[in-house]
Amino acid sequence: MNKDLTAKTSSPNSLMKSIKKLLKSEIGLLIVLVALIVVFSILSPYFLGSRNLLNITRQFSVTLIVAIGMTFVILSGEIDLSVGSIAALVGVATAIVINATGIILVGILAGLGIGLLVGLINGIITVFGKIQSFIVTLAMLGIARGVALVWTGGRPVSRLPEGFGTLGAGYLGPIPVSTLVAAGVFVLAYMVLNKTKHGTYFQSIGANREAAKLSAISVSKYRIMAFAASGVMSGLGGVLIASRLLSGQPTAAQGMELNVIAAVILGGASLSGGVGTVVGTLLGTAVIGVIDNGMNLMGVSSFFQQIVKGVIILLAVLARRSD
Amino acid sequence: MDGNVLEMKKINKNFGGIQALDNVNFALGEGEIHALIGENGAGKSTLVKILTGVHQMDSGEIVLDGESTIIQNPIDARRKGIAAIYQEMSLIDSLSVAENIFLGNEPTSKFVSWVDRKWMFREAKKELAAFNIEIDPRMKVSELGLGKKKIVEIAKALTIGAKLLLLDEPTTGMSSAEIDTFFEIIKELRSKRITMIYISHHLEEVFKICDRVSVLRDGRNEGTHQVANVDLKTLVQSMIGKDLDGIARQRTTVPTDEVILSVKGFKAENMNEPISFELRKNEILGITGIIGAGKSELGLGLFGYSKKLSGEIHFMGQEISVDSPNSAFRNSFAFVPEDRKSQGLFLSLPVEHNLTVSNIKKVLVGPFLSARSRRKLALDTAKRMKIVPLNMQMAAQNLSGGNQQKTVIGKWLSGSPGILILDEPTRGIDVGAKEEIFNLIQGLADKGVGVLLLSSEFKEVSTVCDRAIVLIKGSVRAELRREDVSTERLLTLALGGET
Repeated sequence: MNKDLTAKTSSPNSLMKSIKKLLKSEIGLLIVLVALIVVFSILSPYFLGSRNLLNITRQFSVTLIVAIGMTFVILSGEIDLSVGSIAALVGVATAIVINATGIILVGILAGLGIGLLVGLINGIITVFGKIQSFIVTLAMLGIARGVALVWTGGRPVSRLPEGFGTLGAGYLGPIPVSTLVAAGVFVLAYMVLNKTKHGTYFQSIGANREAAKLSAISVSKYRIMAFAASGVMSGLGGVLIASRLLSGQPTAAQGMELNVIAAVILGGASLSGGVGTVVGTLLGTAVIGVIDNGMNLMGVSSFFQQIVKGVIILLAVLARRSD
Repeated sequence: MDGNVLEMKKINKNFGGIQALDNVNFALGEGEIHALIGENGAGKSTLVKILTGVHQMDSGEIVLDGESTIIQNPIDARRKGIAAIYQEMSLIDSLSVAENIFLGNEPTSKFVSWVDRKWMFREAKKELAAFNIEIDPRMKVSELGLGKKKIVEIAKALTIGAKLLLLDEPTTGMSSAEIDTFFEIIKELRSKRITMIYISHHLEEVFKICDRVSVLRDGRNEGTHQVANVDLKTLVQSMIGKDLDGIARQRTTVPTDEVILSVKGFKAENMNEPISFELRKNEILGITGIIGAGKSELGLGLFGYSKKLSGEIHFMGQEISVDSPNSAFRNSFAFVPEDRKSQGLFLSLPVEHNLTVSNIKKVLVGPFLSARSRRKLALDTAKRMKIVPLNMQMAAQNLSGGNQQKTVIGKWLSGSPGILILDEPTRGIDVGAKEEIFNLIQGLADKGVGVLLLSSEFKEVSTVCDRAIVLIKGSVRAELRREDVSTERLLTLALGGET
């Protein structure tokens, strides 16, 4: 096997192929991540501090959670544009229910329930209405945001109990609580996608929906479940944002969908479905998080940051192109 | 019929060692409708593709209007007045009739590329009026029925000067009223000296509309007849040949009398008529008919893919409800669809995934997958199916056609189905793989699996099946016991002839 490998990489042409293959795998992305960390730690003395690194994980925990939900959707060959709006709606709903009942847990559960409900609506309309999910969730992007705005009259819902802030801003020892939440979500999603039959089904549906149906998979059920997962995860993201700000902001998480989709695609998923892993999504989110943080430390203007991020995403996807 | 507009002389074409066309001579008289018939793989489409420049002949000569010519490519064929009207329509649904007719050939003013729409609609109207057919050129093609679409397609070919039309199964999907109108129009074309090659499995259409008929078998022209002077029996015999009737394969077990599947008045979406039949233990039942007879529709219905409209399915004496492939599977049905690439396989995913996806519950430990037993299940199945190479991590798209087909069947055999429905399981695969699949099917039947073989390969049905049902346009034409099944009888029945 080893001998085989060295023989293959001897000519420059096959060396290129090996490099390409490596770039396509998650290890390639890991190398990019490590390279970025090295570059930023040379450029900024603060970057490599354990405080800053933990800070990065706190910053990207919300993106990661929502991106994991998105991974289910993209793996099944669909897209969910409504994640940012769901996050805002759930943040608002959580805050309102906490204020009304005085019980934090009830507020969180109600919020997550709304996230689940909106996700289910996305899925049911996409599947049974036979409409492309791009369009359904584009409409939901407007509707969910609009409901959040109408419900609150456009004003943030504040005066929340201090205890609620623990989730988004608190620490357990040196580790941010939101990082722990994201880690829990990651492990759970990893188990579901890699260690249960459900992952096989999501992937099959994304790879060939027709064949999946004729392989006796309940395609409709799983497609709806993917949107439901995305709804709940967006909701959890919304809860964390509200907790960190200690207020439910109807204008929170605007444009989040683009960052989240970028992270999933950067992680190796294909928009045509059937390809995508949560490990990839984790790395994709981390790459974007490190770029954001590193450039912030270096004092790069946020306008310029957007250009850099866009270019990096293009380069990464070009490098992984399958032909 | 004056002179010949086209003569094809001693045409040879070889595809990787298979002689697709073997010294074929073929001639067309001006203004005739000339039927080209033959079983699947007889060489009809190769001949047509040479004529339309898709393939190049290895040797031979094509004489067009008295001049020896070479047809280099499809564009060249069009320039020489040859147009093919294929089964799959080449019209664009969202454009108007007139826009379709002039697509790629739009009348434009001299300096700016404005399309002169008024002129276009007027010309399209003239063109259509020539066929005595009322189609508003402003109408969107999506609003037209199948028959009218076909006519628009022909009109499109004629506007760019086609003199010779190749009609490939033109009536597929048309209602009988549409067919009648369509025939009126092609008669009109004939009177205007347009020459047509008419490829069809429907011999009654050949008798109704064609002037002459040529039969291809195994790449040879078995003879050209005046339609008026030939009968169905003669045509069938030259289609299948004399010495080629299949030798029934030996079975180690005989079908028992125990009925395991009983289908009563069953009709699902896209089926024309309700169908009833019984399948016994250890039996291989063939359901056959020409393409479009409704075999796949029956298979998809029984497997719960298309919606059931009426009837009952009884399995092992109990009525079962099948409303999705998933519920069919839970009732131990398995279905191998007609198109392995688009319906059967996850081409981009590993063979292991393809072999275990439907029976993944077998490799669960609690709620979790066991990677080891999954690999073992895939490997055991692949060995049983003789899939080559035995690389479970290879993407299914890298397998050969035969091995892909074995993978689709293996998807079910990693479990233990009670009823196996196979739709055209040997289409497009090599002889060796065919043999292996037949052996496998018989092995399963010997073990008690009820096998339903949907096939339009009559020879295959006559060699493998214990009993055969012949469908015509979605209804049962005949049921034959093993001793009565022969390729010739099946073909005659399927083509609408008497027994």
